[in-house]
Amino acid sequence: MFPGATDEREGPDTRGRESDRGGANFVVVGAPLDATTTFQPGTRFGPRRIRSFAEPFDDYDHRTDRYFSELGVFDRGDVRAWNDVSAYLEYLTSALREAVWNDAVPLTLGGEHTVSLAGARAVKPDVFVCLDAHLDLYDEYDGTSLSHAAVTRRIVDDVESVEEAIVLGARTGSEPEWERAADDDVTVVPPEAVGEWTPDDRLEDREVYLSVDIDAADPGYAPGTGTMEPFGLEPRELRDVVRTVAPHAGGFDVVEVNDRDDGQAAALAAKLVREFVFSHADG
Amino acid sequence: MAKQQTEVRELQEGSYVMIDDTPCKINSYSTAKPGKHGSAKARVEAEGVFDGKKRSLSQPVDAKIWVPIIERKNGQVVSVDGDDMQIMDLETYETITMRIPDDVDVSPDENIEYLEMEDQRKIV
Repeated sequence: MFPGATDEREGPDTRGRESDRGGANFVVVGAPLDATTTFQPGTRFGPRRIRSFAEPFDDYDHRTDRYFSELGVFDRGDVRAWNDVSAYLEYLTSALREAVWNDAVPLTLGGEHTVSLAGARAVKPDVFVCLDAHLDLYDEYDGTSLSHAAVTRRIVDDVESVEEAIVLGARTGSEPEWERAADDDVTVVPPEAVGEWTPDDRLEDREVYLSVDIDAADPGYAPGTGTMEPFGLEPRELRDVVRTVAPHAGGFDVVEVNDRDDGQAAALAAKLVREFVFSHADG
Repeated sequence: MAKQQTEVRELQEGSYVMIDDTPCKINSYSTAKPGKHGSAKARVEAEGVFDGKKRSLSQPVDAKIWVPIIERKNGQVVSVDGDDMQIMDLETYETITMRIPDDVDVSPDENIEYLEMEDQRKIV
């Protein structure tokens, strides 16, 4: 369970009342998909690593003067993954949509980046905002369109509600991906410009989905990820983007964390989940 | 309430199921593959037949579940009175009064199809 969240498996309280998740404001869902990872696998361990490395964090957040454990975060556990990515995404979408129907914000812990497609399908945002080292605009990778290298393309092309994608921190892609990125419905903000980036009024009165691929960070800060890409973002730059976008976002995920480091990637991911929650609650 | 029991695995999109004691029509049915522990689970997303409210459930595929018995009937509009109409059941010739839905325009002698479950009815 994510530290500071509640768990529906909690027993009745002293008055015999069952714990109630109907009142949750945020629902944590682990999505340990590890089917199309390239180079180094291990995202199946992402959710448990993120939960584990969130343990040392203080409940109290000085900036917002709030306690994490008082913000109505419910952890429903993992949606166990299997290799049929299309079927898994359908099932995961349904689980995330339940949170949306209950007026809660789904917080998905990946898993490979492909799980963002389920998040976007559930939230139906107008704008997909993404921190990522890669464009993820392949139409197909290794023969499949449901690949972690094609997820932004799937979301911007196939999720009907999505009008545009904003990719922050991207520093690599194939030539066809850069050509797709040149279209009007994709904005790429290079790493050196992320610190100065502001959405101005682009997110006002629009439904937003925010996805953090942990490889947006420089590999020196988050080595526990499958496809490290140097010249990346500083952790505080990721944090500032999350703080800026969170009040507008109806869904959030942090993905591509694996177990191939000493916890740096998972700790950063866990901290960004908390930053999202505090900033969203702060409005 | 007229209902019968079945297993979750028998449900399919377009069929009916009881969720929170309310008859619902299934919009989406998806199953998770079982691992080495626990059984396969199904997720159902549905909409209340008579109240239109969205509901979902997640259960093992071998769990027992209630399915409402909803009859599809044919009727003829006998008369229209303000927001209400008199409908004659074309099988039993019984006459019933129904509220006219906002999005439906009816006129006397018109044939309509409706769903009936006990005393709840909805025009198809």
